[in-house]
Amino acid sequence: MRDLPDNAALLELARGSLLAEILPLLPPERHRDLRLVATVMAIVARELAAGSVWADRLVRLVGNLYERDGEGESPGGPLAGFAADLRNGAFETSPSQDRAARAILWRLTIARLREGNPQFLAANGFA
Amino acid sequence: MADTASPGFDTAALALFLATASGARRVEIAAAERLGGGAIQENWGIDGEFAGGVLAGAQRLVLRTDAPTGVPDSLGRVAEFAVLQAVHAAGVTVPRPLFACADRRVIGKPFFVMRRLSGNADGRRITTEPALEPALPGIAARLGEELARLQAIRPPDPALGFLPRYDAATQIAAFRTYLDRHPQPRPVLEWGIRWLATHIPAPLPPVLRHGDFRTGNYMLDGERLSGILDWEFAGWGDPDEDLGWFCCKGWRFARLDREAGGIADRAALYRGYEASSGRRIDPERVRFWEILANIRWAILALQQSDRHLIGGERSLRTAIIGRRATECELELLILLDPGGAPAGLRRDA
Repeated sequence: MRDLPDNAALLELARGSLLAEILPLLPPERHRDLRLVATVMAIVARELAAGSVWADRLVRLVGNLYERDGEGESPGGPLAGFAADLRNGAFETSPSQDRAARAILWRLTIARLREGNPQFLAANGFA
Repeated sequence: MADTASPGFDTAALALFLATASGARRVEIAAAERLGGGAIQENWGIDGEFAGGVLAGAQRLVLRTDAPTGVPDSLGRVAEFAVLQAVHAAGVTVPRPLFACADRRVIGKPFFVMRRLSGNADGRRITTEPALEPALPGIAARLGEELARLQAIRPPDPALGFLPRYDAATQIAAFRTYLDRHPQPRPVLEWGIRWLATHIPAPLPPVLRHGDFRTGNYMLDGERLSGILDWEFAGWGDPDEDLGWFCCKGWRFARLDREAGGIADRAALYRGYEASSGRRIDPERVRFWEILANIRWAILALQQSDRHLIGGERSLRTAIIGRRATECELELLILLDPGGAPAGLRRDA
């Protein structure tokens, strides 16, 4: 229903304009500040594009770990109970649960970095 | 990065303070500019002309004071000044401390003044400057020597009786207390802290720890170390803590492959430290402290974002830095679960 170009295209256009047109006009000591603004815009664009797909998947994986389907979650949401159990070592007595818990940690971390810092992810050998 | 805008404090009151403290008849402040670095504190470059007194003549100084909001565990400026005095007296390469002022009537908040060093502390430049490359292993060894020298200061020390003690168990408890209050659960940090809690090494006698000993917090004038900066996180702690912090991936800047602060391999740093301290490094102990360093850095990043989210500081830089906690979380997974990434997540899988 919205007018075109869509929000992702506009954001990219604005970011490109900042870097290509505004940056050269600034004194060198302010370049770092403007690059930070551009970086933040890129993070936001990636977060908007990804939507809630990976977060929904992680909630399902956490639910599978507890063999539940959204019910019986801790009051702080699915990750709160999971985090509390990790603090207490709740999965350490079951090799399969321990493996599954660590797989969730990897997926959560890599999904966040795909949005927040894909260069760092690539530099560490992850896609 | 310099900011030549108005310093936001009364330079005439500062000039009067400097004149009184130095015994000068008069001090004229020619320039006051905000200096880069110091994400938590404010550093101001002060150029002054002193008429008489112990600093007679033209002086290039740094005034260090609090930013509008801070993070927990950071010493006050007067306390940081006392640490700087102690390490300067012990022969550690630092800016010479000059005067401290707790009287808020001078510039509105406590501050101290030290000599301004020449050189560059930018971690990205230090880790990428081609001309520096041949000197970097020697600089790493020198930093190891400096670390040994500061660790020669041990408790009890009457001048530093105010310093907090940072043993592993205390830090682990503080991490958990922070996470209990944090609005978002951090499962990776909880998992890493659990590992810490179950792997605490046998303690060594405590020493002075810098608390933020890393690339980005020392200044190089060409290939020469001109000074170690930012003593706000000093305390009594384990001798391997600063080594673990120095090697933490978050402080390697452009060279993640060079494990000693992005400037050299660990052997160079350890060589300088061992030669100067006479203590043989146990890599497993350093690994423990490096894992703790990743968690501490993650929590510091979250705390800095809290300055925006909770403290009311409107700053893009502090607002966004909390996302860097996830970089530390990846490193925790790499260190504690090597090869454990599910199939398909590794680029080379």
